[in-house]
Amino acid sequence: MNVVLQIEHLSKKFGSFTAVSDISLAVSAGEIFGFLGPNGAGKTTTIKMLAGLLLPSAGTVSICGHDLARSPLAGKRLTGYIPDRPYLYEKLTGDEYLRFIASLYREGDPEPVIAEAGRFLELFDLSDWRHHLIEGYSHGMRQKLIMTSIFMLGQPLIVVDEPMVGLDPKSARIVKELFKSLAARGTAVFLSTHSMEIAEELCDRIAIIQHGRLTSTGSIDELRAQAASGRKNLEDIFLELTGAYELQGIIRALRQDAGRPAGEVDR
Amino acid sequence: MTLRLFQPWLRGGRHRFFPGGRVGLRALAILALGTAVCVALHLVTMRVLAYFHGQNELGVILSLKIFQMVWITIFAMLIFSAMVTSVSTLYLSSDNEIILAGPVAADEIYLMRYVTTTIDTSWMVLVFSLPVFAAYGRVFGAGWPFWPLLLFAVPATAAIASAMAMLATVVLIYFFPARRTKDIVLYLSLLFGILLYLILRLMRPEDLVDPERYGEFIEYFSAISTPVGPWLPAGWSSGLLATYLLDGRIDWLLAGLLLTTPFVFFFAGELAMRRWFLPGFSRSQDSFGGHMRFSPTRGPNAAWAWIWRKELKYFLRDSSEWSQLFMVGALIVVYLYNFKVLPLDRSPIPTEYLARMIAFANIALVGFIAASLAARFVYPSLSGERGAFYLIASAPLSLGRFLFWKFLFYLIPFTLLTVLLVAVSNHLLHIDGPMWLVSLFLSLLLTWTTVAMALGFGVRFADFRSENRISAMGPGAVLYLFCAILYQLLLLGPMAWPVYRLARRWLRTSILSLPDALILSGWAAGAIAISFLLAFLLCRHSLHTLQK
Repeated sequence: MNVVLQIEHLSKKFGSFTAVSDISLAVSAGEIFGFLGPNGAGKTTTIKMLAGLLLPSAGTVSICGHDLARSPLAGKRLTGYIPDRPYLYEKLTGDEYLRFIASLYREGDPEPVIAEAGRFLELFDLSDWRHHLIEGYSHGMRQKLIMTSIFMLGQPLIVVDEPMVGLDPKSARIVKELFKSLAARGTAVFLSTHSMEIAEELCDRIAIIQHGRLTSTGSIDELRAQAASGRKNLEDIFLELTGAYELQGIIRALRQDAGRPAGEVDR
Repeated sequence: MTLRLFQPWLRGGRHRFFPGGRVGLRALAILALGTAVCVALHLVTMRVLAYFHGQNELGVILSLKIFQMVWITIFAMLIFSAMVTSVSTLYLSSDNEIILAGPVAADEIYLMRYVTTTIDTSWMVLVFSLPVFAAYGRVFGAGWPFWPLLLFAVPATAAIASAMAMLATVVLIYFFPARRTKDIVLYLSLLFGILLYLILRLMRPEDLVDPERYGEFIEYFSAISTPVGPWLPAGWSSGLLATYLLDGRIDWLLAGLLLTTPFVFFFAGELAMRRWFLPGFSRSQDSFGGHMRFSPTRGPNAAWAWIWRKELKYFLRDSSEWSQLFMVGALIVVYLYNFKVLPLDRSPIPTEYLARMIAFANIALVGFIAASLAARFVYPSLSGERGAFYLIASAPLSLGRFLFWKFLFYLIPFTLLTVLLVAVSNHLLHIDGPMWLVSLFLSLLLTWTTVAMALGFGVRFADFRSENRISAMGPGAVLYLFCAILYQLLLLGPMAWPVYRLARRWLRTSILSLPDALILSGWAAGAIAISFLLAFLLCRHSLHTLQK
């Protein structure tokens, strides 16, 4: 398979704190790669390094063979980044925003890209809002506009942080189908999420990051084998692999507590 | 295509000022108000300059000296505001995530940030300085070349100021590690502003209009005809225009310097951007304190203690809050310095009387300082709770009690400041006897009531959706300031007579008579009652409105 994203020994330190430590992985064309981890594990830091927003302390990121440190513009030209917080220019209309993004990534006539955007706006029920100011959009509408602005470009690599935050069920369904269809046409998708359901449904392979280190990588079946516990769904596997199996003990203790009268405190 | 990055700025501006493609009422109102201010500035400057010109040759030189000083001040202001703005535009802009993730070269980003920062920071200075400088052209009867020279010199100076500021910002952010950079640049800019303020104040420009201070007339003449800041671009601009105004001649060296310097600094900034921007931006995202361990808190655990602790920690951990103490410090130094240099001996009124008059006026000044600081720090303290206010509102703690603890928290620093200002200024004025106690008592009464009023108004106009404390200061803060000053004047006005009586008697006999003491006590009791009632009723009414 054609490798689109190659990460080698990637590390990031903030002062004496190591946020990401020695991560290596590769994502191929047509693959949806899930990036899972507990809060504060280093997911967003890694994603920001892939998007060129944060410089690594060590290691390399290559996109279609272009080293992001040596030739950042070449790498960024092939990547579409969808952040978790949908910041947009409040005083632009949706259409103006899309044209602006098209001008950043494509030289020459923007119309083919804008026509493609029209298809996604239609899918997301945003066509009627296309010429309204973004300041009037809801959180979900902003998220859908950002996705439109990246999907319309047809980038070989899409890096996305928490894709479903703020989306209604219909839009969430559409986004999942869109990721699948993009992957089927050869796009590589690097996706960070907290939702086990999304990861299980969408991802061909999954990496689990904990305390800045990759603890497991593989398909659902491979992870199941690594967990070696015969568990069925990804949530259980995730808890097992992130060392949260003591959760069972906590749940047992909480259930025992539930039997006591309210207000009673251990001394 | 290097202009593509300007699209959001241009289109955003168009939508803001011309909503729906039409000329909005707001744009018209701003235009009309701006034009009126420009015309007023032009006419006032014309009048002042015509007065100077009506005197003698000295008046002409003096007016040019002021011209040079205005240039230097404008230049310093431009650098100061461009540095603060460029930290935000280059490193903290929310659109960085979009632009930097895209395939956009550093030079292109620099050009966009440079042009937008220059325009954003200097348009107001340019618009309002042009009518002032145009008045010089008219009063001096300058020929037509003055106008193109003026239209060249003003934007060139602004372009140099922002290019210097952006270059300095990129370099500083690179060399100072981590998130603290933005704070450091903020402090450096603040210190720069304070330094400038102190220099201007301590070099006492008012002496320039007082020839008696110089032993010889020629000494005075040479002092005012020396060019100001020959090494500063603002000095070049003022020199270029002043030379033309006086001799009708263009100094081509200065014109050349003004033409080339913006490009020199711009390209230096572009180089710095290419080399140091991305590492600096990457570091600026490290969150300050995020990985820092704080020692566990010890001490009382009562609700009041935690409310005080929360206020204090919020203040100390938010650099945008406490960095303003630099400005407050500079204000106090300059304020007290003015007392030191007061020329009391040159007044026709006896020194002791004059000193006591000033001490009485000082009470109003201290009250005004307290009101201004309370408007900045106390008024927005409830709005500063923002969304977290629901925690207080839903807790088993009455809002009245919560406010009272807040009031006590702010009372301590305000009391200390008031005592400091009164004690030092009274010492410098050589005040003794009962006047000392009267000024301290009245100042404290004004300060305490003013702090309570700030809290009351802050509750009445609370805005929990504001981004930060400064943005919570809406029209309510202006109304508070007006009311606080009105209260102070109404309280101090009637006190003038008994205080004068007391001071006169004390200076003559050094004895405090019983009738004087009784009259003064009566006034004081009335002042306390009125102040207490005002603060109490205002806070109660505001709380009632908030609870509704």
